[in-house]
Amino acid sequence: MKAVIVQMAPCLGDIKANLDRHLEFLDRARKDKADLVVFPELSLTGYSLKDLVPDAALDAARSPVFKELLAAGRGMSVVVGFVEERGDERGLFYNSAAFLANRKILHVHRKVFLPTFGIFEEGKFFAGGRDFTPFQAPFGKTGLLICRDFLQYGSSYLLFAGGAEVMIVISAAPGRGVAGPAGFETSRMWELMGEAMSYFSTAFVLYCNRAGAEDGLFFAGGSFIYSPKGERLARASDLDEEVLSCDLDLELVRQVRKKWTFKRDERPEIILHSLERIVRRYED
Amino acid sequence: MKINPAFVEKVLTRFIRDELKKFGFSKGILGLSGGLDSAVCAVLAARALGPKNVLALIMPYGAGFPSDIKDAAGLARSLGIRKKTIDIAPQVDAYFLRFPTKFRVLKGNKMARERMSILYDFSAREKALILGTSNKTELLIGYGTIHGDMACAINPMGDLFKTQVRELGAYLGVPGRIINKEPTAGLWPGQTDEGEIGVPYAELDAVLFELVDQRRSRNEVIADGFKAEVVDRIISLIKCSEFKRRMPPIAKISSRTVGHDFLYPYDWGK
Repeated sequence: MKAVIVQMAPCLGDIKANLDRHLEFLDRARKDKADLVVFPELSLTGYSLKDLVPDAALDAARSPVFKELLAAGRGMSVVVGFVEERGDERGLFYNSAAFLANRKILHVHRKVFLPTFGIFEEGKFFAGGRDFTPFQAPFGKTGLLICRDFLQYGSSYLLFAGGAEVMIVISAAPGRGVAGPAGFETSRMWELMGEAMSYFSTAFVLYCNRAGAEDGLFFAGGSFIYSPKGERLARASDLDEEVLSCDLDLELVRQVRKKWTFKRDERPEIILHSLERIVRRYED
Repeated sequence: MKINPAFVEKVLTRFIRDELKKFGFSKGILGLSGGLDSAVCAVLAARALGPKNVLALIMPYGAGFPSDIKDAAGLARSLGIRKKTIDIAPQVDAYFLRFPTKFRVLKGNKMARERMSILYDFSAREKALILGTSNKTELLIGYGTIHGDMACAINPMGDLFKTQVRELGAYLGVPGRIINKEPTAGLWPGQTDEGEIGVPYAELDAVLFELVDQRRSRNEVIADGFKAEVVDRIISLIKCSEFKRRMPPIAKISSRTVGHDFLYPYDWGK
């Protein structure tokens, strides 16, 4: 399958402009015979929205924006980032990722871990999601994570336990630290996580970060794809917009799991039991 | 404290180019003093925007610092950027003739604000955005004139300590004369930053790096071997200058207030 990662720089708070660019990227991806196209976190709105969050919110099931995305993405699977407000949950705004395929919204993941410290203030403007559940994508069982979700390692574990063969992480990660040999130092952190999680989950990890700058923060780019053996298959440049494409052989999951039996030997019931005991002891 | 100067150049030139584009400008303007910070900013601006899109204003007070004027003009020539020299003495002297003072800091602040006022005027005349030249060291200890040299539209260098600016300058090929010049705000003859601050930049930056970037406590920094009186002085400079780094507080009486909970991004729609 041909995966395309769109490391783009959305326009902050301008859904129309961002939709137009999504449609162009999708058009090009379809001509290039892509099977999967991944856009970054909050790709339809930009990241540092603050009080613009309610104005940028969309109900995926009803929004004409999604109608256009579903039409433009026909024949492909597409992941987009957006601010979600469902008609039956008015006033709750989520930082969400939607997985579109076969002209349907197959799955929506709401970001669970909202970073709220230092330069990050997501907890001030967004409601947090409560679930990590993989779903059946056209190419295999898939899980979605959004940026900080991936750095809290329980999230990847849950996708692994749920049977994911592909983990798709969409991100708007600003770079910090310029002492390293190349790029921002924080980019190395993401790659370490990608390498470790792909290896121990024996699953593909696709990381789509954004480019561009908002209010003096530079999104570091450096999107990547790791194979189920922890091999880096592709990496986009630091900082710049780039469309990264890579052929993935899902059969590799089977090959690797014959050799490394992490998935077969996993005991989620013991993890659950231990977690229950830990949680019950809170405040004791 | 180490920087990768090639990557820093890439990030900062992109910042200058992108910010100008976002706000519909193609030209940048800056005050060029003949010192290190504005020299580094001028090189970055010339590389980001193309030399013809950069206007350097050289704004001496009379003929007090001839070698600085010469260095500034020489740098502008070698970069191929546009330059204009404006003597601020007539307007500064006119003011102090009416309101004399013997305090040279007051005169220095007035000069910094006259330069700011000229920069903003030429910014509008030339449709050029003002590039700030304050570095992280100055911003943290408040070694600058509020609404004077601290005023700008964007600040590409505000997250680089003075010693890092020097490292970047050397990488960018800023002339050795400027790199090795004793840093001074140029407010009066013989003034030097280190003399006024009372701590050499190497030590000041090392302490600031520990306190700010590494978030280490006063006692931890002192345990590293820095003198307690130096660390305490630096902490007090940081504390006393917070007002220079923030918009003034607004008395909140309504349910939604500018500066408190009316929160929009700077780059809204960009």
